[in-house]
Amino acid sequence: MKVHFKIKRFNPEKDKKPYWGEYDVEADESDRVLDALQTVKWDIDGTLNFRRSCAHGICGSDAMRINGRNALACKLLIRDAVQGGKITIEPILGLPVIKDLIVDMEPFFAHYRTVMPFLINNTTPGERERLQSPEDRERYDDSTKCILCACCTTSCPSFWARGDYVGPAAIVQAHRFIFDSRDQGAAERLKVLGEPDGVWRCRTVFNCTDVCPRDIQVTRVIGEVKAALITGKID
Amino acid sequence: MGTLFITVREALRYKGREGQWLWALHRISGLGILFYLIIHVYDMSLAYFNVPVHEEMIALFKTPLFSVLELALAALLIFHAVNGVRVAILDLRPEMWANQQKVTRISLIVTAILAAPTIVIMIIYTLNANFGPVASAVGR
Repeated sequence: MKVHFKIKRFNPEKDKKPYWGEYDVEADESDRVLDALQTVKWDIDGTLNFRRSCAHGICGSDAMRINGRNALACKLLIRDAVQGGKITIEPILGLPVIKDLIVDMEPFFAHYRTVMPFLINNTTPGERERLQSPEDRERYDDSTKCILCACCTTSCPSFWARGDYVGPAAIVQAHRFIFDSRDQGAAERLKVLGEPDGVWRCRTVFNCTDVCPRDIQVTRVIGEVKAALITGKID
Repeated sequence: MGTLFITVREALRYKGREGQWLWALHRISGLGILFYLIIHVYDMSLAYFNVPVHEEMIALFKTPLFSVLELALAALLIFHAVNGVRVAILDLRPEMWANQQKVTRISLIVTAILAAPTIVIMIIYTLNANFGPVASAVGR
């Protein structure tokens, strides 16, 4: 099938403002959007820029706004994306555009680092690993699935309005450790998330949950962190 | 471009679901209520500081245009209150995430149930105040 692609282009070295590049691509309906983007780059216009690495929904490099909604180009099939023979692609919103579909992820990772995304435990581990029951592991299983693609954070109106908001992805990462029975840094993380630009900027819009390519129940995870802040209990 | 402009523009362009539209309406209704409160506090202060102007404003508020705006204000106020409760419930009961569509539907039905009689009563009152006998025949 022939698909008409409309891709937002911007080269800060040449362009004063972004413009739409238009390309017709012959694609199979079971192809992924990423395949079509590669066809554009390899066969039609080599100046098109986008990130991709593993191309199998694991690395989270190719997050972009496809037909008005954030998604990973490598996980979305042409038949699920195409609307009236067209697919519109833009960079994710809220992060500075470096070129075409590539955004500067540094502000996103800066928020990620503020929640201390690593195990904090000052006791001596002993000769073996720190053991944990299956139930304790299950408690934070959902938030371990995050691949830091930024689909959630850049779909959030609160993040568009205020880039200082830590964003859903950082909260998911904090949740992964706050509810880990082996971790002792919950109080420090909750302090960060209790700040004005922490978890309370979430307005329960659900855009993050709707777009997560790993099907993490992001708003639920954020709600659990809010509940921990309100009650002072982690259970 | 300011972030406010981008947020408003992208809230219209981004294809979110009911949560995004309720969020946008919650903001709009909140701003509408704030605008009303500013006018209200200003007008009430004139009752002390400048009585003739206050009376002029009260007369203005009784005109049909303001009566219609009052209907919108009542509807927005009820929506804002009910939607605020919906957000609080979803915040405190995150496990209800899976039922967000149902919760949205219930909150809109509750808004309609509360708003409908309020607006009907206000319309009857407005008709009575503006076209006495006609409204009496209809409303009483």
